[in-house]
Amino acid sequence: MAHDFIEVAASTDVGNVRQFNEDSIAFDPERGVVVLADGMGGHRAGEVAGRMATEIILSALQTEVAEFRSTANPHSPLRAVTKSINRANTAVFTAARTHPNYQGMGTTLALALFYDNRVTLAHVGDSRIYRLRDSRLQLLTRDDSLLRDQIELGLIAAADAAESHNRSLVTRALGIEASVSTHVRDDDALPGDVFLLCSDGLNDLVDDADIELILNSLRSNLPLAAGHLVQSAKDNGGYDNVSVILAKVRKAFPAASHAAWLKRLLGWLR
Amino acid sequence: MAKLVLSKDGVAVHQCWLDKDRLTVGRGTGNDVVIDDPAASREHAAITCVGNDHIVEDLQSSNGTFVNGTRIIRHILQHGDVVEFGALHLRYVNPRASADVDLERTMLIPGLQRGGDDLSPAPDSQDADDGVPSARAARVHFPRGRVKVLAGARAGSTIELDRVVAAFGKGGHRLAVVTRRPHGYFITHVEGRRYPRVNHQSIGAEPHPLRNGDVIDIADESLEFLLD
Repeated sequence: MAHDFIEVAASTDVGNVRQFNEDSIAFDPERGVVVLADGMGGHRAGEVAGRMATEIILSALQTEVAEFRSTANPHSPLRAVTKSINRANTAVFTAARTHPNYQGMGTTLALALFYDNRVTLAHVGDSRIYRLRDSRLQLLTRDDSLLRDQIELGLIAAADAAESHNRSLVTRALGIEASVSTHVRDDDALPGDVFLLCSDGLNDLVDDADIELILNSLRSNLPLAAGHLVQSAKDNGGYDNVSVILAKVRKAFPAASHAAWLKRLLGWLR
Repeated sequence: MAKLVLSKDGVAVHQCWLDKDRLTVGRGTGNDVVIDDPAASREHAAITCVGNDHIVEDLQSSNGTFVNGTRIIRHILQHGDVVEFGALHLRYVNPRASADVDLERTMLIPGLQRGGDDLSPAPDSQDADDGVPSARAARVHFPRGRVKVLAGARAGSTIELDRVVAAFGKGGHRLAVVTRRPHGYFITHVEGRRYPRVNHQSIGAEPHPLRNGDVIDIADESLEFLLD
């Protein structure tokens, strides 16, 4: 598989108001892994939970990717993702129970694993994953948040959500219980697609239309796009930590075994 | 904790803590807040607590429920809101529910419907989701600017710079963006070997602030920047 099939640019910022940055990001473009977490908990435990989650998941997936790339089992990526999340959940949960300072800590999560022209996406809590395809931005995740539930149940109108004080209430997080249930989906990843992982500090302050405009305007300069997204959140108030990871699919990336097979086939036809 | 202060002709006559998931307001004596006014219906309105919010809802009353003078069906109460029932006013007091964007730290609470579900891709989750919109626009004021095209294919036209970024380029390539920020506009090079020029000077790779009357050259277009 090509080593430069995914281009990644990321930015994380404490924002204008908060004292600490409890967001955490980690990525390995060569292995097609990007992970983002928004930690929560007293003192500075949120920072610990977020960092534990991204570091554990990244390193677990780095190992897993090397393994499934050699076997070409289509179910492996999904299993690898679930396994890595469970490992992080256990670690955060155990630390929270063991250290008094870490009691009750947890974290949201958004991750993408690119493999064989596809991507496995997972999230917990209110961190989001969007995709820009054909100049159109699409939200691919559904927030685990009270506000989302209220809107879905028709208790409040989506247009009134701005008036709510429930923005900070998530209904699911990693590390809170002995096991965590995760939203996982598998989708195709086409050349030109830009995947955006972000903490709520972005989408609470920058509306989707502006995120779309920034990505469309700056997609040819990914680091500048990441910087502009964060800057826009801060210009609009920056009340929370804000983090973004952009992953652009530069070209098709079939699994190595397919490529080898195709090469053989082509050589044979020649 | 949030409370309601009932007043008549500007004089407080009663107050009650919002310590229940739901309370009702009306003329009937069975209500949590009794409104002694013929204009009020027997069961006039309900106030429900969801998370950090208190939501007032009209119970199909004959004369309607008004918040700060506007008739509502359902309304998320903000600190200082006044719910009107004829001559009686009910003021919502909850400094934590102020109109400013809330600074509450993220907390975990039980959801309203879904339990532990979908470990594998659920069919319904495949569809796009509009999601929860962004919060109310902060009280940030952005300047108003535009560019007049002096030379190039679009010569004579004016482009309003009323969004967060505006891209300029040639043949599908975004060569530069003009970014709108609270303290002014900035032009930044995006791609291409040549940097944009402002007043005949190359701007380099860094964002460059724009001043009223600046002349910008990007590819074969010449633009005049105008600020209100």
